[in-house]
Amino acid sequence: MLFILEDTINGILMGSIYGLAALGLTLIFGVLKVINFAHGSLLMVGMYVAYWAVLLTGVHPYLSLVIVVPVMFLFGYLLQDILIKPIFKAEKDVREPITVIIVTTGVWYILDNLSLLIFGPQYRNIQDNPLRGKMLEAGEMMISVPKLWGFCAAIITALLVYLFLQKTRMGRAVRATSLDRDAASLQGINQYKIYNISFGIGTAIAGVAGVTLVPFFNIFPSVGVLFDIKCFIIVVLGGLGSIGGALLGGMIVGVIESVGPQFMTATWTEAIVYGLFLVFLFLKPSGLFGVKYDW
Amino acid sequence: MNPLVYRKLPLILVGVLALGLPLVVTSPTYLHIVILLFLYAYLTTSWNLVGGFAGVLPLGHAAFVGIGAYTSTILSLQYGVSPWIGMLVGAVIACIVGVIIGLPTFKMRGAYFALATIAFAEGIRVMFENIDQLGPLQINGPRGLQIPPLKTGLASFMFAEKEPYYYIILVMLAGVLLLTWAISRSKLGYYLMAGGEEPEAAQALGVNVARAKLTAMAMSSFLTAFAGTFWAQFTLYIHPKSVMSLDISFEIAFIALIGGRGSIAGPVLGALLLRPVSDFSRIYFGDKLPGLHLIIFGVVLILVMLFQPRGLQLPLTRIYHRVMDRLFGDREAAA
Amino acid sequence: MKILELQKVRKYFGGIKAVESFSLDVGEGDIVGLIGPNGAGKSTLFNCVAGVFPPTAGDILFLGEKINGQKPWDLCHKGLARTFQIVKPFASRSVLYNVMVGAFATTDKRSEAEKRAREVLQHLHMDDKKDQRAGNLTIADRKRLEIARALATRPKMLLLDEVMAGLRPTEVDEMVAIIKRLREGGMTIFVIEHIMRAIMALSDRIAVLHFGTKIAEGSPQEIARDERVIKAYLGEDYGAA
Repeated sequence: MLFILEDTINGILMGSIYGLAALGLTLIFGVLKVINFAHGSLLMVGMYVAYWAVLLTGVHPYLSLVIVVPVMFLFGYLLQDILIKPIFKAEKDVREPITVIIVTTGVWYILDNLSLLIFGPQYRNIQDNPLRGKMLEAGEMMISVPKLWGFCAAIITALLVYLFLQKTRMGRAVRATSLDRDAASLQGINQYKIYNISFGIGTAIAGVAGVTLVPFFNIFPSVGVLFDIKCFIIVVLGGLGSIGGALLGGMIVGVIESVGPQFMTATWTEAIVYGLFLVFLFLKPSGLFGVKYDW
Repeated sequence: MNPLVYRKLPLILVGVLALGLPLVVTSPTYLHIVILLFLYAYLTTSWNLVGGFAGVLPLGHAAFVGIGAYTSTILSLQYGVSPWIGMLVGAVIACIVGVIIGLPTFKMRGAYFALATIAFAEGIRVMFENIDQLGPLQINGPRGLQIPPLKTGLASFMFAEKEPYYYIILVMLAGVLLLTWAISRSKLGYYLMAGGEEPEAAQALGVNVARAKLTAMAMSSFLTAFAGTFWAQFTLYIHPKSVMSLDISFEIAFIALIGGRGSIAGPVLGALLLRPVSDFSRIYFGDKLPGLHLIIFGVVLILVMLFQPRGLQLPLTRIYHRVMDRLFGDREAAA
Repeated sequence: MKILELQKVRKYFGGIKAVESFSLDVGEGDIVGLIGPNGAGKSTLFNCVAGVFPPTAGDILFLGEKINGQKPWDLCHKGLARTFQIVKPFASRSVLYNVMVGAFATTDKRSEAEKRAREVLQHLHMDDKKDQRAGNLTIADRKRLEIARALATRPKMLLLDEVMAGLRPTEVDEMVAIIKRLREGGMTIFVIEHIMRAIMALSDRIAVLHFGTKIAEGSPQEIARDERVIKAYLGEDYGAA
């Protein structure tokens, strides 16, 4: 019984990190209405940036955020501006340009294999970092400390994003664009600039997620693939564009992954996650908290 | 001479070349590459029935390849059923699965549809990886099934040399191209195009868009499963990652997109352009620069989508017609 | 013989009463017009008849059969065809291809569909444009294409939704002539229109919709003099004219 509670708690913590990874995606998906298949790769890039930052400067992993966040923001901003914006301009009347999906897949292939070429396939990790392997004892349960840090980072980031969207002028512009891009642009909002910024923010959030993973997760070129599909599942589960939904969806997935292996093989839990995903797609495509999306 | 013959001449030439290829290309390695090329051309053309004509983006077609491969293999290994019959059975099963998948997913918007097909395909793959035995059927989970090379010959769909495989896949490819051409000119083809471009208008004109898409899906999954059996008989070893992986689904889709989905020649063109790049960069750069072919793939993908989103067949066809006019235009005018 | 009967048709969208207890009969060979200020509920009514959504209450009978909630493609096969206010051509295809999609409603064979499509195009004097890309047509031609496509399905009744919108006066006259010719061929037509000149010239009878309710029905002359109609369009001050 105690094991299940311990697993559940660790599952929630890990799940919040999934949710953090998915948060960037839900923002991009919600505002631009496109599937960004490169999201996992962006996460991978964030992890590598954090890794090198820590390795070269020896700082605490979470201090690397100072470097990771702006670098990732810029990366995402440029990606959107150079590769995706031209398609939006060309397919102005199409509400959901499929071509963008394909372009982001190309980005995924390029990023993953470029990093394979440059960094090699070996698994890396930061052996002597202050968080690695640390456990918190809560009674008889062992709670993973790096995951706890990740949980806090997820909550804080989610709050910051929420405040940004609700309270700042730019944030309101982002929300307006996500609801109706034409109406928003008629109000004087430069929709393309909003897209760039949204993509930048989404990528920066992926960078934060990368930082939370670096203390305990292995870093290798195709690490993004593990998270890619999972993030999409979480986004659908939680509801397109919903911050709380992303975190909650992440936690659900985290708990299933954590508690599931007590009762079945790890790959069956994978099947359950897919099954849950499909159930939501059919029965409640707007997810737990999403706005009813017009089909 | 009838000017129409001039237009058809290149096609006839290609046909003759294709038939005579094994006489020229004798190295088994290169023949193997060509066979795989034709296989992918076959797969993307079958995919095109849904992804091109119906106008949606299915990204999980490898599931049908796997169903075809596993069905015929299990039937032949455990029950001694001829792979040819197993091929048909596998296709029927794949067809049913395809319709089951299509029924709920065709109602979804583009992005969600793509995700749903991925989820289905991955779900099926995960199941195959987890199951060792399903009742009397031996599936072997991640270890997969191996086909012992015992009797060779047409009846057992197994050959010692590559040449017979070449001709089989050539016939399959020609067949699926012919079918695609026939459909494009038929009521189903018109209805699919209409439903894909303006569903509301199509419905007002009597088109049951959902039913047309399901029909296309049924055909596509049926045909795709054939390729699975071929693959099994060609490589003699199948496991979930080799016949059902997401990479295969994606490659099938993207070859069609780069070549030009919705056209007849597009998918084949895409395969002709991209497969050699993939194979050769793997052969020559495999050790020193791993993954280079995927980088090239990705770059091509992006460039084509940015500059020729309808696929490369559009500009290539234009060039072809211009060349034909240059060569035979005068004679046509005189005739 | 009544082709279309609308009996106390209501359409509510949640709390919004888009159409309130609307009744109308359309006889064989009639041209009936539906007019009303913007937002009156005309397109909503059309969409109920055409099967886009079912009415909240009331009955719609086509050729004597109740068709509430039936799907657009089934209705098309029963003989009900419609055009769209915002034209939806299959832009990447030729004009002939577009019309053939409609023609396939009555046949499975491509040769027959092509023959029927060419007949329709000839009837509408569009045969010379048959190979043009539909997306490259002028708005007037696109409107004619809408009608051609619908006509190819061999309908017994045509629902024309603001077919004149965006046309120049000469083009409007041409369109009126086309529609009149269709009626001479035996077609029953139900038209929504804003261009008064056109609808007055075409219709045998006109119904006027205002905030979802029918406020008047009669011949074009009667409607033009009707006080309630004038009030609805021009406001209270002009009512007592």
